[in-house]
Amino acid sequence: MAKLVGIFAASHGPIIARDWETMPRDHRARLTAAFDEIGRRLRACEPDLLVVVSPDHWVNFFINNLPAICIGIGDEHDGPPEPFMKKVYPHAVLKGHAAFGRHLLQTALDNDFDPTLSHRLTLDHGTCIPLWRSGVDPELPLVPILVNDLEAPMPSIRRCFAWGRLVRRAIDSYPEPLRVAVLGTGGLSHSIGETTMGWIDESFDHACIDAFARGEERQLDAFLTEQLDRTGNGAHEIRDWVIAHAAAGSTGFELIDYFPSPATLVGAGFASWQAPAS
Amino acid sequence: MTDYWLSKLFFDLQHDAQLVADYRADMAAVIDRYRIKPEVRRALLDDDVAALSPLVNAYLLRFYFQVRGMPQDEFMARLHAMNAPVAPAEPAKAGHG
Repeated sequence: MAKLVGIFAASHGPIIARDWETMPRDHRARLTAAFDEIGRRLRACEPDLLVVVSPDHWVNFFINNLPAICIGIGDEHDGPPEPFMKKVYPHAVLKGHAAFGRHLLQTALDNDFDPTLSHRLTLDHGTCIPLWRSGVDPELPLVPILVNDLEAPMPSIRRCFAWGRLVRRAIDSYPEPLRVAVLGTGGLSHSIGETTMGWIDESFDHACIDAFARGEERQLDAFLTEQLDRTGNGAHEIRDWVIAHAAAGSTGFELIDYFPSPATLVGAGFASWQAPAS
Repeated sequence: MTDYWLSKLFFDLQHDAQLVADYRADMAAVIDRYRIKPEVRRALLDDDVAALSPLVNAYLLRFYFQVRGMPQDEFMARLHAMNAPVAPAEPAKAGHG
């Protein structure tokens, strides 16, 4: 059977790629240290594939056809289309893992979830910045899960917990001895293209981190459900952390680093969860 | 309220380098390919961030003004100005005589 061997979360933001060389040195050093630590832990758990939970930044989907959740079940996916990403992460094609993708999709359908599917996704900066900065082997097969974190109405936090548990069920029931890691990307607070653009809501971020550390699902659900519409729109990407959290069994959260990063416009958060015992 | 065709224009600009080139060469001609309302067309031609902001997803709005070449600081300042309280009208001055 497959095994969940590592669970991680990391912020992203286009400025991290676009302005990497020119951003303040202290920001770059701190981001480097955090991403490096994610990469070190990820490599240490020796995954055979990585489930990446990310938003889609209007790359695969538009408002004429906008799934709440899409699972990438192809053997390949396209690398990032953004010109600023192609310069730093020049991988036109990224490996998928069709067999596990299909198993995850089938597990979802068998459990009354109704995701959409894609045989070939385009993986934008939301997925690829953490892969790039963490030094993840570009040959590592990916199973992308794209979550609508950008356009209301979005999946409820309660549903994201359920999705995380479902991802775990799919890993635990996969018949091959695969080592599977999960990476949620995005968050913490940030505000993009709205009247508060640039605002980093540190009090939200700290409360959020505390709630993940306590682990208790109902408290975290209540906190996020109440607070997400009161902070910047980028914080909605915390759904991807929630899915990772629930996949981990909603326990074992460890903050790697958090700092408000005005240079990149994000509350930069990095975390891992303790993998379940064998 | 989401404006579908404005959103579609912004989305297409994100995906089509030729459309971006066309837009930079002749905005009005490209706008006319879409079912854009007259007041929205005016807002596009005026780079009116405040008028366009309520009509599209915030991420698409940001991308669009990057295409337009508006510096991020200016874009943010225009967004922030939407939060500024409206100054009360000055009371009418009493006339003389």
